[in-house]
Amino acid sequence: MEELSMKNTLKAGDERKIEEEFFQYIVIRLGDEQYGIDIRYIDNIVRMQHITRVPKVPAYLKGVINLRGEVLPVMSLRLKMGLEADELTRATRIIILKLEQQGSVGIIVDEVKEVVTLGTSQIEKMSQNAGENKKSFITGVGKHNGELISLLDLNSITLEENA
Amino acid sequence: MDVSQYLEIFLDETNEHLQNLNTQILELESDPENMDNINEIFRAAHSLKGMAGTMGYKRMQNLTHDMENVFSEVRNGNIKVTPEMIDVLFQCLDALEEYKNNIQETSDEGTNDNENLIKALNDILNGSKTGQAQPAKEEKATAPAAESTGTGAEKWNDIAFDDSQIRVIKEAMKQGKNVYGINVVVQDSCILKAARAFLVFKAVEEKGEIIVSVPSAQDVEDEKFDKDFTLIVLSDYSLDDVIKAAESVSEIAQVTGAVLELEKTKNYHSEEETQEPAQEKKEEVAETKTETRKEEKKPAAAKAPEKKQVSKPVVNRTVRVDIEKLDSLMNLVSELIIAKNSLVAASSNDQGNNTAFNEQIEYLENVTTNLHESVMKVRMVPIESVVVKFPRMIRDLSKKLDKKMELYMTGEETELDRTVVDEIGDPLMHLLRNSADHGLESAEVRAQRGKPEQGSIFLDAYQDGNNVVIEVRDDGNGIDVEAVKNKAIERNLVTVEQAANMPEKDIINLLFQPGFSTSEKVTDVSGRGVGLDVVKSKIESLSGEVEVKSKWGEGSTWTIRLPLTLAIIQALMVVVGGEKYAISLGSIQTIEDISPKDIKLVENKEVINLRGTVIPLIRLTEVLDVESTRSPEDNLIVVIVKKGDKMAGLVIDELIGQQEIVIKSLGKYIKQCKFISGATILGDGEVALILDANALL
Repeated sequence: MEELSMKNTLKAGDERKIEEEFFQYIVIRLGDEQYGIDIRYIDNIVRMQHITRVPKVPAYLKGVINLRGEVLPVMSLRLKMGLEADELTRATRIIILKLEQQGSVGIIVDEVKEVVTLGTSQIEKMSQNAGENKKSFITGVGKHNGELISLLDLNSITLEENA
Repeated sequence: MDVSQYLEIFLDETNEHLQNLNTQILELESDPENMDNINEIFRAAHSLKGMAGTMGYKRMQNLTHDMENVFSEVRNGNIKVTPEMIDVLFQCLDALEEYKNNIQETSDEGTNDNENLIKALNDILNGSKTGQAQPAKEEKATAPAAESTGTGAEKWNDIAFDDSQIRVIKEAMKQGKNVYGINVVVQDSCILKAARAFLVFKAVEEKGEIIVSVPSAQDVEDEKFDKDFTLIVLSDYSLDDVIKAAESVSEIAQVTGAVLELEKTKNYHSEEETQEPAQEKKEEVAETKTETRKEEKKPAAAKAPEKKQVSKPVVNRTVRVDIEKLDSLMNLVSELIIAKNSLVAASSNDQGNNTAFNEQIEYLENVTTNLHESVMKVRMVPIESVVVKFPRMIRDLSKKLDKKMELYMTGEETELDRTVVDEIGDPLMHLLRNSADHGLESAEVRAQRGKPEQGSIFLDAYQDGNNVVIEVRDDGNGIDVEAVKNKAIERNLVTVEQAANMPEKDIINLLFQPGFSTSEKVTDVSGRGVGLDVVKSKIESLSGEVEVKSKWGEGSTWTIRLPLTLAIIQALMVVVGGEKYAISLGSIQTIEDISPKDIKLVENKEVINLRGTVIPLIRLTEVLDVESTRSPEDNLIVVIVKKGDKMAGLVIDELIGQQEIVIKSLGKYIKQCKFISGATILGDGEVALILDANALL
């Protein structure tokens, strides 16, 4: 099983200002878009494996997997965000998130690309009104090497929808 | 005196004695003349007093002392047991309980002198005194014991002293010190002999110097003695003082003593004649002596490191283990079983006829199953520890509510997982209080209905397959379905139309809704409407369930059903629509092969007639939203499951077989599904869901 272990150390001493805060993000691909996930919440990245379906749950909850003896729920990021169903390829990965409230949850992504370090100056917070009318899963947009990375709001993704 | 290391033992024993007193006084209330009870109470109070005194808890000692006085009078027939007296005694027990709790938390008994209680006890005493001098209780307590055990007499004369000891004794005699031989007999029932003996050593050392101990001090501390031991003591005090000191320790049956006369001792004259055996003895005794000496020099400090040695044999055949250690052991066993399952899977895939390998796998299977069972057994404790406090509670409720009632309990020895037992107390208490308050009618109503004035509450526990069932039953009012219905409508839990169509059972189940209480008046016993939903959620958190049956005017029965084990179960693996599921073997009755022709329709539901019983069919493919892999003409494989007296047939696609599975939680993230009780990891690493047959019924 391929695993990327990543350390939470920040690269210090770039040409950027010292009082700036830096965060590391794992860049993933979902369809044609790139998203960033805060590395502090990532426990593990595993290859796609057999997912046991659980009946009578929302469609985006794909089921449960066995991660070294622990049973973990796995959700489809695509379905949760209203995209088409996942197309499984060799690049498909399950990212195991470790969240305080929800415990461990796996999310399915199309591809894991790289780790980037973004300073606060490179992150543009989402404006408030954008999130009001429609449910938003994005906390902000980061700029990295001329590309835009949408930063995922893990809480709104993983929290249950209160119908 | 440093006794902190015995605090735990003290607390345990105090608990035991208090519980014992509670039970005995309860019995005494119903049978005030029973001499056995009175003696038992006297003995327990006496032991408590002794223990509290040894540990330096003076207030506790005073209170028990006065209780003991009262009982001594009762025993002598000078006072009759009256209800008021019982009340006072119960208050005393509560006060003692409070002391105990204080000690448990702060290792200090607190500052409450409970003077009013002591006064009440003395009033009882004085009210009855007929001018007769109060007999000395101490002697009374030990007198019967002394008669029964006459073994310790003059044992000190059998001790073989060596030269140096004789020299020490002679020297002491010259200095005008008294040399006593003391024989201490421990009660047969005493569990912690070594601890008792140690306390005796301590007590005696305060009065003098122990120069010889037979068996040796070390052996005594290691509990290597039958039930008595002999000490040679040098002391400035009188013999009585020394004996009293030894007697102050509880659970000591008898202390005898006399001034030692060297001439009478075994070795005195033989020392010159037989050098050889004396030589032999010498080493042993010398060792004893140094041991004793060391203790004498720094009694408090030297004790601390020896604590381990004392406690090791003290715990003898039982070991206290942190429940967390057991949990981690349990987890390891679970891992082992998963690993074993994958080996089994691997060996069955690989069709080679490697018999030796298969044999070993079977052997491994046996071992892991046994290991699992043993670990589970270690975690099992009888529910007695929880239910034993209930008779007292019911008695108090009886007084408070002014209703006559009696609690009958059976099956206290039924065992449950430790974690379950710890949690089950509160729900049971709720149900009992409920029965006492809401269930049982007032005396007038009972008379009208032709029931005996005294209401009965039953608490029955028994094992039923893989479950333990605890029933709380009363012969009271039963549940007033109409009242429940009206209340539910009033509380907007159901609409009027809904209520009209609801079967009686569902209405009764409304009682388990949060914030529901039908009692007209709020009492401090029950009726705040927080009870039953808490009971239900608590039991469900233990993977159990609670049910109620009731007949208006005749009483109600609350049935709690709990799983025996929480972590590993035997399960039947089945395939439904290409997916694997596990069904707990505990709920499965039989597996049947049913032809589609045999399916009948009753009220538009599919049923089968199985050997005279009509059983509804549940098609798991429908429940689980999957397509069956079998054609409709094929015979059906039906797993017959049972819960209480309800049965159902679960239609599955394929059978895989029986397997031991480790229950894993699905986590809090997925919780919507009622009939999935968890998941398990199969030998090939795949996850299979566990179907809760009970929830499907």
